[in-house]
Amino acid sequence: MIEAGISEPLTWTQICNQYPNEWVALVEIDWVNETDFDFRCARVVGHGTRRQQYEQARAWSSRYTSMGHFYTGRVRTPMTPLLFP
Amino acid sequence: MKVTRFDPNDTLIIVTARIWGPHGDKHLSLALDTAATQTHVVPEFLDEIGYGPQHGDQITSVTSAIGNEPGYMMPVSRFSALGFTLTDFRLHVHDLPETLGIQGLLGLSFLRQFDYEIRSAEGRILTSRI
Repeated sequence: MIEAGISEPLTWTQICNQYPNEWVALVEIDWVNETDFDFRCARVVGHGTRRQQYEQARAWSSRYTSMGHFYTGRVRTPMTPLLFP
Repeated sequence: MKVTRFDPNDTLIIVTARIWGPHGDKHLSLALDTAATQTHVVPEFLDEIGYGPQHGDQITSVTSAIGNEPGYMMPVSRFSALGFTLTDFRLHVHDLPETLGIQGLLGLSFLRQFDYEIRSAEGRILTSRI
């Protein structure tokens, strides 16, 4: 961390290694294109359970109006089908 | 035509979406779900970009394994997925289990405005506006 609560620029692989199976809040995301998830690097301003990372990221919301929230683990298929109205 | 890549090894088809509000924007992960009539998003981060239940225009109820859970319909100023951006787009705001690893579903309310082809083996979605 270069500043309390914010990481240096990291690749997605580095983020997954440092915060395995956690939700992360990312800023300064250097996207490769407008459709895919791929990005070159980003800074982490929150991590943990979904609730934790939102609370940590809130401290940065006045500085960063654009933010990404993603899960570093594998997506899990729900026990019940995702059938909504 | 826009091309969106996804991981064909995931158990769901996950795409990145973006929502704009009065105070900023958020990127999030949604599961593409042709069985969902609406596009669903969890409520947590919407207040960060200036939205909340007070912006809802319709109260909803979703029947799940643990009972009826409340939600609401709400328009957002801009919504983007699969390379296309829609304005004044209505979302169904409703909670999902944190353990799923997604923050909602990209449903037919978005998809029906496009022709799309899901190439599962290639991990690509080809999308063009109707």
